Amino acid sequence: MPDLVSNLGLGFSVALSLQNVALCFLGCLVGTLIGVLPGVGPIATIAMLLPITFGLDPVGALIMLAGIYYGAQYGGSTTAILVNIPGEATSVVTALDGHQMARQGKAGIALGTAAIASFFAGTVATLLIAALGAPLTQLALIFGPAEYFALMVMGLAFAIVLAHGSVLKAVAMILLGVLLAVVGTDLETGQERMTFGFSFLTDGVDFSVLAMGLFGVAEILRNLDSTETRDVMRERIGRLLPSFADLKQATPATLRGTAIGATLGILPGNGAVLGPFAAYTIEKKLAKDPSRFGRGAIEGVAGPESANNAGAQTAFIPLLTLGIPPNAVMALMVGAMTIHGIIPGPGVMTKSPELFWGMIASMWVGNLMLLVINLPLVGVWVRLLKVPYRLMFPAILMFCSIGIYSINSLPTDVIMIGFFGFMGYLLIKFGFEPAPLLLGFVLGKLMEEYLRRSLTLSRGDPMVFLERPVSAVLFIIAFAIVAAALLPSLRKSRDEVFTEA
Amino acid sequence: MDGPLDGAQRRRGVVRAPQSLVAGIGLILLGLFGIWASSDLEYGSLRAIGPGLMPFWLSLGVIACGIALAVAGFTHDGAPLQSFTLRGPVVVILAILLFAITIRPFPFGGITTPGLGLIVAGPLAVIVGGYATHEARFLDLVTLALLLTAGCMILFGDLLNLPIPIFPNAVVQALTGTIPARTMLRIAAGALALFGLLLMLLQRRSHKRGTVDVARHSLTT
Repeated sequence: MPDLVSNLGLGFSVALSLQNVALCFLGCLVGTLIGVLPGVGPIATIAMLLPITFGLDPVGALIMLAGIYYGAQYGGSTTAILVNIPGEATSVVTALDGHQMARQGKAGIALGTAAIASFFAGTVATLLIAALGAPLTQLALIFGPAEYFALMVMGLAFAIVLAHGSVLKAVAMILLGVLLAVVGTDLETGQERMTFGFSFLTDGVDFSVLAMGLFGVAEILRNLDSTETRDVMRERIGRLLPSFADLKQATPATLRGTAIGATLGILPGNGAVLGPFAAYTIEKKLAKDPSRFGRGAIEGVAGPESANNAGAQTAFIPLLTLGIPPNAVMALMVGAMTIHGIIPGPGVMTKSPELFWGMIASMWVGNLMLLVINLPLVGVWVRLLKVPYRLMFPAILMFCSIGIYSINSLPTDVIMIGFFGFMGYLLIKFGFEPAPLLLGFVLGKLMEEYLRRSLTLSRGDPMVFLERPVSAVLFIIAFAIVAAALLPSLRKSRDEVFTEA
Repeated sequence: MDGPLDGAQRRRGVVRAPQSLVAGIGLILLGLFGIWASSDLEYGSLRAIGPGLMPFWLSLGVIACGIALAVAGFTHDGAPLQSFTLRGPVVVILAILLFAITIRPFPFGGITTPGLGLIVAGPLAVIVGGYATHEARFLDLVTLALLLTAGCMILFGDLLNLPIPIFPNAVVQALTGTIPARTMLRIAAGALALFGLLLMLLQRRSHKRGTVDVARHSLTT
C-alpha cells in the first residue's frame, strides 16, 4: 500500500507538470474533436492523430495519445446521444437510451450523466491499474514463450466469443488477420513471405495502415452507401448537471457498470467491447420497470458509459504488464510506443517508472479534463455535427491521407489505406466484422514468434503447452469458452446480450 | 440501397443464404491464394518451424471456414446479398491514389510523377473525393479544399514541423535562397485561406441574391 501511494505520487508529479497537463488537455480536445465526427471511432482517430505526437518526448507523447484515446471515446458517446450514430461498437448501447433522453429535451442531462459516470469509472480504473500493475508485472516474469503463446490463444478465443454475429465468420476473420501478419520478412530466416517482390511489403503490413483502411476509409465507403438519416437534435440541450434525483437513480448503475467494465477490460481479446452490452443487460434485468429502457432511462446511459470507460482503461493492464495488446486501440499504442523506442511489457515499469506511473496518473487527469472541457463545449460539438456528410467525408479523407503519409513518409502507405478500405467495405457488405481481423493481425506476429521459440526450446515437442501448468490452464480456458460459445443454449444467450439493444 | 428482405419472406431457391455462400466462396479463394503465394516457402519441422508452415495452415483454416460458410448458404436461411454502389468506392479510392502519387515524386513503371506537395495533393483529394456522393457541389468543395489545405499546412507543416512536402518540387528549387521556407508556407497558407473565405462569403451572398452575378465575381477576384 505505501508503495502504491509513493508510486502514484511519482506519477502525479510527472503528469501534473505544466507541459504534460497541457498535452493531456490538447489530446483530449483534439481527440474529442475528431471522435465526434460520425463514423470516426477511436481507432481511426488515433491512427489519424498519431503523427502529431512525433515531435514530443516519449512521456509527453504517450500522455497526449492517452488523452486522444479518452477524447475519442467520449466524442463517440456524444455523437451517440445527440445524433444516434454510435462512433464505435462500445457506444451502440449508449445511443439507445441516451438519444431518447435527447429527444425528450434532456440531452444535457444525458451528456452530463455520461461524463460523470465515465469520470467515476475512470477514477476507479486508474486505481485498479496502479494496484494491479506491480503484481502482474511479477507474474510476467515467470511467463515463458509457451505461456505467452497460450495467453494469446486465449485472447483470440475470447475475441471469437465476444465478436458480434456468426462465430464462424469471427474465426475466419482472426485467421485472415494472422495470415496478413505473416506477410513480410520472416524474422528467423530472413526470407520474404508473400511479398510478391514489392519492396514496400518487405517490412510487412503496417498496423496503422491496416487500421486506418479498415476503420477510417471503409467506414466512409459504408456511410456513403446509406442515405443520410442524421437527425441532429433540434431541441435544446437543456441543463447539463443531473438533479439529485437523477444522480440517485444513476449511482447504483454507475457502480455496477464500473465493476463489470473494469473486469471485462482486463481480459485479453477485446473484452472491453462486451462491457457496455453486459452492463445494459444487467441494468434492464434489475430494473423494477424494464419497459422504461429504450425510452430514455438514465441507468441505460450511466451503466454502459461507466462500463465503457472502465474497460477502456483497464485494457491498458495487459499491455503495460505483459506487453500484449488486448485490442486494436492498444495495438496502436504499441505502435506509438515503439516509435518512441519503448517496448511495452514488464520492463517498462522497472526501466522507466516515471513513464509508467506518469501515464497512469495522466489517465485520471485526462478523465477530469474531459469532464471540465466537454460539458461547456457541448454547443461546439452540436454545431460540428450539423455539418453535412458530403462536406465532412472529404475532410476525413484528407486527414486520413495526411496522417498516414506522415507516419512513414511513404506514398505506398496511402495507396494501401485505399486498398484496405475497399477490403473492409467488402467485408462489411458480406457481414464480416473487421475488429477480430485487426486483433488477429496484432497478435499474429507475436504468436508465431512465441510458438516457434517454445517449440525450439522443447526440441519440437508440442506437449510443452500442456505440460507447463500455467499454459495448460490457459489452453483449457480457451477451449472451454470456444466450446461454450458453440453450445446452442449459450449461443442463444450470447446473441441476446448483443441484440438486447 | 436495398434493405435486407423480411425474415418472413422465405426464398424458395436452392441457395438459402446468398450472402453466406458468396462470402464462403470468397474465403476459399483467399485461402487458395494464400497457399499459392506461400508455396515457395519451406515448412520446416516442429523443432525448427520454417517460414512456410504458418501461412500454409492459416490458409487451410481460412478455406475450411469458407467451405463451412458456403455449405451453410445451402442449409440455413440467411441474409441476401447487399446491393453495391460503385461510385463511392471508385471515386474515394481514386482520390486516395491521386493524393499518394502527387504528394511526392512517385515512380510508376517507367515514369515518375512530379512531386507536387500538399498544396496540390490536398485540394485534389478533397475535390475529387467529394464527388463520391451525388450531392457534391463544386464550389462548396473548392471552398472546403482551400480552407482545409490552409489549415493542414499550418498545422502539419508549421506548428508540428512534420516532414511532409508542402510545395511542388520545381517551385521549391526555383525559390531556394530567396525566401525562407517557413515564410513561404505562411504566405501560401494565408492566400489559400483568404481565397477560401472569399469564396465562402460570395456563396453566402449568392444564396440570397441568386447565382448569376456571383459567377462573374468569383472570376474577377
